[in-house]
Amino acid sequence: MSGYIAVGQGSCGIAAGAANVYAALSEKLADRADIALKTVGCIGMCWLEPIVDLYDNDCLTARLVHVSPADADRIVTAAESGDLSGIADLVITAEDSAFLAKQTRIALRNCGIIDPTSLESARAAGGYSALAKILTGEGMTPEQVIECIKVSGLAGRGGAGFPTWFKWNAARQAPGDEKYLICNADEGDPGAFMDRAVIESDPHTLIEGMLIAAYAIGAREAIVYVRAEYPLAIKRLTRAIGQAREAGLIGDNIMGSGFSCDFRIKAGAGAFVCGEETALIESLQGSRGMPRLKPPFPAQAGYWYKPSNINNVETFANVAWIISNGGAAFAAMGTPDSKGTKVFALTGKVRRSGLVEIPMGMTLRDVIFGIGGGIRGGGSFKAVQMGGPSGGCISASLLDTVIDYKALGATGAIMGSGGMVVMDDSTCMVSMAKFFLDFTAKESCGKCVHCRIGTKRMQEILTRIVAGEGVPEDIGLLEELCLAVRDGALCGLGQTAPNPVLTTLRYFRGEFEAHTDPEHRRCPAHACQALLTYSVDAEKCRGCTLCAKKCPVGAISGTVKQPHAIDKDRCIRCGQCYAACRFGAVIKD
Amino acid sequence: MSQIHFTINGIPCTCEAGTTVLQAAKQNGIEIPNLCNDESVRVYGACGLCAVEVTDDGTGKALPKLLRACSAKPQEGYVIRFDTKRAAQSRKIALELLMSDHTGDCRGPCQLSCPAGTDCQGYVKKIAQGDFRGAVEIIKQKIPLPAAIGRVCPHPCEQNCRRGLVEQPISIAALKAHAADRDLAGDTFRPVPLPDTGKRVAVVGGGPGGLTAAYYLRLKGHAVTVLDAAKKMGGMLRYGIPAYRLPKELLDREISEIAALGVSMQNGVRLGKDITLQQLRDEYDAVILATGAWRSMAMHVPGETLDGVTGGIQFLHGISSGEGEIPDLTGKCVAVCGGGNTAMDACRTAIRCGAARVSVIYRRTRGEMPAEVTEIEESIEEGVSYEFLANPAEIIGENGHVKQVKLQVMELGAPDASGRRAPVPIAGRFKYLDADLVIMAIGQTPDTAGLDGIALTKKGTVAADAGTFRTNLPGVYAVGDLTNRGASIAIEAIGEAGRCAAVVDAALRGEEKPYFAPYFSQKQVTAADLADREQQPRCPMPTRPAAERRHDFAPVNRGLDNETAMREARRCLECGCHDYHECKLIRYAQQQELHPERFAGAKNAHGKEQRLVCIERDNGKCILCGLCVRVCEEAAGKGILGLVGRGFPTVVKPEFDRPEVIAGCRDCLKCVQACPTGALRQITE
Amino acid sequence: MQKGCDLTRLDPVLAEYAGVPGSLITVLQHTQELYGYLPHEAICYIAQKTGTTPAKVMGVATFYTQFRFQPVGKYHIMLCDGTACHVNGSAGIAQAVCQHLGIEPGGTTEDGLFTLSIVACLGCCSLSPVMTVNEDAYGSLTPARAVEILDGLRAKEVQA
Repeated sequence: MSGYIAVGQGSCGIAAGAANVYAALSEKLADRADIALKTVGCIGMCWLEPIVDLYDNDCLTARLVHVSPADADRIVTAAESGDLSGIADLVITAEDSAFLAKQTRIALRNCGIIDPTSLESARAAGGYSALAKILTGEGMTPEQVIECIKVSGLAGRGGAGFPTWFKWNAARQAPGDEKYLICNADEGDPGAFMDRAVIESDPHTLIEGMLIAAYAIGAREAIVYVRAEYPLAIKRLTRAIGQAREAGLIGDNIMGSGFSCDFRIKAGAGAFVCGEETALIESLQGSRGMPRLKPPFPAQAGYWYKPSNINNVETFANVAWIISNGGAAFAAMGTPDSKGTKVFALTGKVRRSGLVEIPMGMTLRDVIFGIGGGIRGGGSFKAVQMGGPSGGCISASLLDTVIDYKALGATGAIMGSGGMVVMDDSTCMVSMAKFFLDFTAKESCGKCVHCRIGTKRMQEILTRIVAGEGVPEDIGLLEELCLAVRDGALCGLGQTAPNPVLTTLRYFRGEFEAHTDPEHRRCPAHACQALLTYSVDAEKCRGCTLCAKKCPVGAISGTVKQPHAIDKDRCIRCGQCYAACRFGAVIKD
Repeated sequence: MSQIHFTINGIPCTCEAGTTVLQAAKQNGIEIPNLCNDESVRVYGACGLCAVEVTDDGTGKALPKLLRACSAKPQEGYVIRFDTKRAAQSRKIALELLMSDHTGDCRGPCQLSCPAGTDCQGYVKKIAQGDFRGAVEIIKQKIPLPAAIGRVCPHPCEQNCRRGLVEQPISIAALKAHAADRDLAGDTFRPVPLPDTGKRVAVVGGGPGGLTAAYYLRLKGHAVTVLDAAKKMGGMLRYGIPAYRLPKELLDREISEIAALGVSMQNGVRLGKDITLQQLRDEYDAVILATGAWRSMAMHVPGETLDGVTGGIQFLHGISSGEGEIPDLTGKCVAVCGGGNTAMDACRTAIRCGAARVSVIYRRTRGEMPAEVTEIEESIEEGVSYEFLANPAEIIGENGHVKQVKLQVMELGAPDASGRRAPVPIAGRFKYLDADLVIMAIGQTPDTAGLDGIALTKKGTVAADAGTFRTNLPGVYAVGDLTNRGASIAIEAIGEAGRCAAVVDAALRGEEKPYFAPYFSQKQVTAADLADREQQPRCPMPTRPAAERRHDFAPVNRGLDNETAMREARRCLECGCHDYHECKLIRYAQQQELHPERFAGAKNAHGKEQRLVCIERDNGKCILCGLCVRVCEEAAGKGILGLVGRGFPTVVKPEFDRPEVIAGCRDCLKCVQACPTGALRQITE
Repeated sequence: MQKGCDLTRLDPVLAEYAGVPGSLITVLQHTQELYGYLPHEAICYIAQKTGTTPAKVMGVATFYTQFRFQPVGKYHIMLCDGTACHVNGSAGIAQAVCQHLGIEPGGTTEDGLFTLSIVACLGCCSLSPVMTVNEDAYGSLTPARAVEILDGLRAKEVQA
């Protein structure tokens, strides 16, 4: 039999041990020509990593999950015999397979399927055919390209959802010969990793999308600004750029069309604000990444004050598909407001966690329960956080919200870059709001007053509420500050920084009130340590003394076989007694 | 160039296409608040103060977002406002946030503790420079009677003077009196009133409050008439304060200065008797009530109505003003009840009337006495004795005349609301004090007769709004001892009257401008912070010997000479910010009521001082507008200053440890000039 | 530490980017690769060679979290506190690691072996909580497992 074995080696696969699996398989297959071993990118089923796919003549015969290096022998045996019975325990369940079946993949179309280190692999999957379509034969004019994107309805996938064609057109129309095409791969939103996955798994799709955009706006130089925290992505993209250059797909006179475009990568150095396009430009210019005032917009005065266009990775990953299949095909998917598909990074307390690409118009419930399988570990759904530090927490009552820009915006959250963090009832929403403010306060560039001091003050107020030092007036103060910062901050980071607080105030106000109740401050989720009280249920306590032994401050007293008691003044609320008790006799409130 | 037509805050404006809203506003004579803009450098957009709202973009639609005037450009037909609720709120929060992270003293503690907000540091500095007239110009911005107030004021300014943390406070009051005396003696400073407005104001009561209101309203160009029931103007300054503290010729001089501005003064006119409030309301555009508190409070003990029992103010009235006979108390025993300054005036006056024994009865101890320490000390020097921890329980008479005071013996219990330990009677313990005259000086209340239709407080004072000084009657305002919490010190009345004058002036021009306490940034300073200062003891005020002064009403204090005054003034630590008058931050901050304390939290830089050649930086006052960094790089072409760090902890820093870098600074002072606050200053020495 | 760092090692980097405007961050990244951190002298040297001022270079260097001004340990632990990791208990991991190593976030152990940084998001959210130690990523951590990994590295050092 002729076929190959593919090991998914995105960053998270590697983190789960895929490299060791690859090494073990490689050793077994060292002297065999009949079964090839390949590296592929991330299929997006992260909770099943490491994943190994068996292919027979390019046809997937089995997907093996949670593979360990020790499984290498039987995998090779199965691959050569075609008999999967020896690895039946590794084969993905039908239920888990449904994770992929319910998706529609455009941006992620090649991820986890092709070899990201191989140009041939990309070309075999149709890579650069869209570029050929516009540059060779009849070809397409830049205006036709922009029109096609306009028809597709593609909107910026980085967060703001601005129509892509409009930005391209503005940059195209801007006077000047020197123009730049920039890819924002500074995926800073904690909880989103689709851009990393695309670069690691299918870098040529990004390059092709960028070349098309460069052609459309008239740029001769394209720059990818990548997070420094993504070393594997940088490595694979660097390699892919090299391959494309060698193949004449980058550089002068591409495909003999007269269109020339050079490419380079610039590694970011750790600043979330550089996801904001003007801050990104400042950073590209070697300066502090502090946003500029708009107007002028980058399309007029961007990189080195020349017309520039910036889109994020996922946006570019859709472009070649749209050119190949036509704008209308893309626009056929989605809602009247939002076209095409969107990738989400589904994480948190969800059973199946990974990358999900779905057509716009599905509901949050479809994604979280239908694809993600609902809540992991017996808890119940409480909230989903969308859009990261710029987004918001949506409560269960809004699970049937349709995924499109407008409908999500109406909830107070945003589509954002597609982070979707699911939370169960053990999560304290006040503490979540504080988490995001900790983040934005730390990431504020410090330029404008509203953001620099405003986010700091919001964080301080939230910190004291979580620490049990809040007063009811803090809620109003927080709200006033949120609205002012949203209205007054200079850039998107500051303007959206209050969103996590505003949405939690909107949907979980009761939790804020409970935390600041002057009569009895408490954390309904039992998550804020400072607000917990531990006590012993005398009925249930068997007097085993285990809790007293575990208590680091000697706050628990009692004699053997007699109910114990916790001295609340001495208790430091570490919870060790609660964790230790085998009879459920320690009560946490 | 094509012209764009638009409005800002309703004012029609034009500008050339391509001009920013901020520039266009400036060209049209409108100042939109901004802190980080400077025309010599690129637009930055950090402060957010210049937020404007476009309520109509020329097509009837409002723009959804606030715009920054420094970068937005007006389009034809734009209706731009920076006075909308939304823009004002955005600006206010920005200022509150800035101030919540600001470490510095806008003004010294002297000024901030002065009820009238007098710029003490400012005039003390003028005195240090020997510019006495300049000093009076500053004082008269808040106090129209500086010679009088310099002598009678219990000077809260001195209590809070930071020099007190080094050794003793500056003699601020004495310096004020000295400057005023010098001014009166020579070419007296007399401000020029604005052109007549045609508006008429009646001020009822010619005491410090009424005269102050009259002075400032007259300067605004209004026609002001002061009506007073007494023979002469001056109120308590004339009839309460004894001449040995305030010579009446001096008071006459200062009052004549006010009259010289064109203030009409009518004495012997009692409201409710000679004229009614309604008549005044009919005749004038505004009426300010400032009749004070003249009724001595009763002690509610048996025997109060006996012959020989009198109130402190009643006792002082004729003697202090010189309008009455000086009673001969030779051989008499006088008991003065109370521990305040009126009690002091009464006991020291009684001594001067020849009394054989004057005893002050006070229910707590000396440490709790509200009277000024100097007054107590001088009274003791003059022979006054004290009965502490004693409270009159009964006044015992003989043939209808007072003979003895029965005193309840007290002890100090737990501290009360005022923080002082409360006196508690010791059951059954009494003592007796012989007395021919008993003076009750435990406080005064206003006499509200004649104030028909005016609403009163529970205390029986006139109820006046704290911000507008309005009473319940339209057009009628009230200030001073007459109102709200009742009798207080003269400078309180002066402060209120000054603020009231501003409100009334605005109202007469058709504007509603209620007073609110302006915000000042304040720093916490302890003695340890000032440990490096050289000790320079306070120059004592020379006084006449007690043996001499106890026989007459001539001034106790001899006054300072010029040299002493200047030496004393040079002790000033100059706590207030050098940049106060140029600081844009404080100017904008005081344009609305600000409460940065609600955002109190961590502060970025605690006033760490750094030096760069001839420039001193105080990061505590830095607002990170980046102007110094930007002018250094863009306008001076140097780039010596840089922003270090990110977010809240960002600081401006030059590379200090490297002499070769410092050498690059050629002291062009562009950074100092660009700084909108007092964070940068040139070191001149 | 700062004295005597060999600045000539920077020359090839400076030469490579001499003609490329806007390369300051890239130059600093290379500098950090060379020295493990950004020595003060190197910052001044870069300023001098690139015709800018140390204030400006410091301004850029202190803006980005990637740059360090102190040497780091042999093993640089980056513990993710992204949203997914946070929800899944990264705080507990941080507590365990700090306690075990006896350092605070940002600190380096006395033996110079470990430096701990808490970082925003490593992009491995589905394996949360996650940490990386130098190039290697470790997912699905528990406090016990995190400590085990660090002990493993330490044991390797002792053997070596």
